[in-house]
Amino acid sequence: MGPYILRRTGAAIATLIAASVIIFAFIHLIPGDPVYVMLGDAATPDQVEELRERMGLNEPLVVQYLIWAGNALQGDLGQSIFFETPVTQVIAEGAETSILLALITMFWIVAFGIPVGVLAAMRQGTWVDQGLSGLAMLLASVPTFWVGLYLILTFAAGLGWFPSSGYPSIFEEGGLSNLRYLVLPSLALAAPNAALILRLTRASMLDVAREDYVRTARAKGIPPYRVVLRHILRNALLAVVSAFGFTFAALISEAVVTETVFALPGIGRTVVQSILRRDYPVIQGVVLVIVCLYLVINLIVDLSYRLLDPRVELE
Amino acid sequence: MKLKKFLVGMTALALLATPVSAQTLRYATIGEPPSLDLQMGTATLASTISQNMFETLYAFDETNAPQPYLVTGEQISEDGKTIVLTLRDGVLFHDGDTLTAEDVAASLNRWAEHGARGKILGLDNAAVTGDLEVTLHLKEVNGAWKSILAYINGGPVIYPADIVTAAAGEPIAAENYVGTGPYRFGELRPNRYVELIRFDDYTPNPGESNGAAGTRVANFEKLHFIPVPDVGTRLSGVQAGDYDYAEYISGDLFGLVKDDPAVQVKISAAPIFGLMFMNSENGPLADNTKLRQAIVAALNMEQALQVSVGEQELYDASGVFFAEGNIWHTTAGSEAYSEGNPEKAKALAADAGYDGTPIKLLVSTNYKAHFDNASVFTRQLADAGINVQMVVVDWATLLKLRGQPEQWDMFMTHHGDVPDPVLLTVMNESYPGWWQTEEKRALMAQLTGTSVLEERQAAWEKMQALIWEQLPTVRVGSQFSYDIASPDLKTPWEKAPVFPYFWGASK
Repeated sequence: MGPYILRRTGAAIATLIAASVIIFAFIHLIPGDPVYVMLGDAATPDQVEELRERMGLNEPLVVQYLIWAGNALQGDLGQSIFFETPVTQVIAEGAETSILLALITMFWIVAFGIPVGVLAAMRQGTWVDQGLSGLAMLLASVPTFWVGLYLILTFAAGLGWFPSSGYPSIFEEGGLSNLRYLVLPSLALAAPNAALILRLTRASMLDVAREDYVRTARAKGIPPYRVVLRHILRNALLAVVSAFGFTFAALISEAVVTETVFALPGIGRTVVQSILRRDYPVIQGVVLVIVCLYLVINLIVDLSYRLLDPRVELE
Repeated sequence: MKLKKFLVGMTALALLATPVSAQTLRYATIGEPPSLDLQMGTATLASTISQNMFETLYAFDETNAPQPYLVTGEQISEDGKTIVLTLRDGVLFHDGDTLTAEDVAASLNRWAEHGARGKILGLDNAAVTGDLEVTLHLKEVNGAWKSILAYINGGPVIYPADIVTAAAGEPIAAENYVGTGPYRFGELRPNRYVELIRFDDYTPNPGESNGAAGTRVANFEKLHFIPVPDVGTRLSGVQAGDYDYAEYISGDLFGLVKDDPAVQVKISAAPIFGLMFMNSENGPLADNTKLRQAIVAALNMEQALQVSVGEQELYDASGVFFAEGNIWHTTAGSEAYSEGNPEKAKALAADAGYDGTPIKLLVSTNYKAHFDNASVFTRQLADAGINVQMVVVDWATLLKLRGQPEQWDMFMTHHGDVPDPVLLTVMNESYPGWWQTEEKRALMAQLTGTSVLEERQAAWEKMQALIWEQLPTVRVGSQFSYDIASPDLKTPWEKAPVFPYFWGASK
């Protein structure tokens, strides 16, 4: 397992470098200039030139890349052009929201997707299965922003049970109770993802249920619930677990719509706003962190196969 | 199990409504402000926030007339180029120091050299001539000097001398946001909020409160400016009581909110207006006034505003730059506005020798109104046989492309309310479009060469007529944005000012 991890880490670093070059090149290929965005409508050409010079935007791209990469290796992702604060601080501010939102969303997904998927598989072909599959299709098809706005209208503006938007940190006044700000957004975000996990669990369960050892287990007179939980579900989860990994990474990096609708200070919104502002250091920093996240999650998923299924050889 | 317990606990907590501090004003903004150093930038949001921290020498009253604020008065020399200002005594900065003539001179000199609007005053230098006396030496007489000193947007706010001297051409860093205003800087949390805290040792102007002039009373302990980019969320946030004030609610929601008892509607007192600039330096429109006139003859602005704004209460199809009641109001030249006459346009275009060359109209999708207006214009111009090609980009790209004369023939933007005609972007020769004809320069000299209001008004009247004749830009029409507030928020103004301020407000 040791050499395997080493090899994988080496490959991950190569991927990281390639990704950082691509990101850097692409960002600077977009027309538009942060200086114009910062100085506003009435800026004169002199002011624009002065600010470009000050921010080092007049250096050749290769030089800009090497400076950035060198600093990044030392943990310094540079200064945000827009906020004039370190990029690491901007990312840290967004990371808390994004990670907590992803965790709570994952909870809803697991709590709903897997049991309901198992139930649908066990009742295959009946009205229960058809009803649940229909529900899954509906949840997967309705746009997140619509679900989000509907939840806000009903539970915040209407009933007043939850706050409509925003998220003060759990480290501030209010402490853990501030998590209530994340209940509606996590539900909106969980809906389509839970539906996918539900479908996947169901399909995977049905595949495994046809295996010989399941028939053998049943023939031995093992109680049906044990067959389902110990023999079918455990093996069926293999496919579901790899989907989890990517779902989790996607929840952190792609929750842009949910973060916008609920005015959450998360990573997804930060990166989209930064693209509109041409805040290069923030875009580069966030994308770098997201690439790292995917690589780590990928590695964890691969390693967890081995734990779930001893037959899997890691080479 | 732990997770389950945790979530059960969380849900229980959710049901315990936490009391919201009545001492904090929560203002939902459309996004994040760039640097709050008011001298260096013209972003509207930065002005809305920073005006609570930083102050100017003069401030506008309700009629838009500049009144002494940090000064007590002025003396102007015979030739109009030397202005002696006397400062108010005992004004405190947020760091506890007292405002001196050094601070004012250093702030004005830095602004004149590096400030976003620093060049418009034509300040040669500001010199300390007494403990509380500053003397301004202007290069030329500038009739608009008092309005320019009162205008906060990219304007000459006063900082401590050591801070401005150290910052020079760089924006002042957040930890050095020190001003004389009723609120001091608290903290800036990216994507979360900007917090301002009441300055307890504030030294208000002793005058009676009138617009932004006169005394300023800070009732709120804190002001929070929270970015809420989605307009639907800003609206439901106010309805749910999570925000006290939300800016820029879209026109299509007006019907929904105007009769809603859960919100107060605050229509803007200062309309913004769409502008379509024409390229005076390059391309088919550069030297062809006839062709410009053909384009304008084809446009029906009422139609465009119906599409881009919709609600009739929120727009005014008018070609004048300053509304009735404003000291700069004149209708000169505006008969050319919104003729919507394709036949006349065809005739003028033929006269102008137009050969069907595509005319590039640069527009961004970030502002829906720009894009809607541009789409309507393209259609109307096609009906008049004028071939317009829309170049659709995002706003950041547009800002860059419009600086390159060969990239465009017309571009769409908008303009906010300004207190003096010299502040209109079209008056600025280096602003994209680059309008610098002899006639314009002659009128500009008249407009700025005197402090006598009547003479300046007469010059502006001719200038507006010239704009409608030479068409460096075309005014699309007034568009009133509106904000909403929670029912219990009391503001000192009925209609929202360009930069809504919250001293004097309470809930």
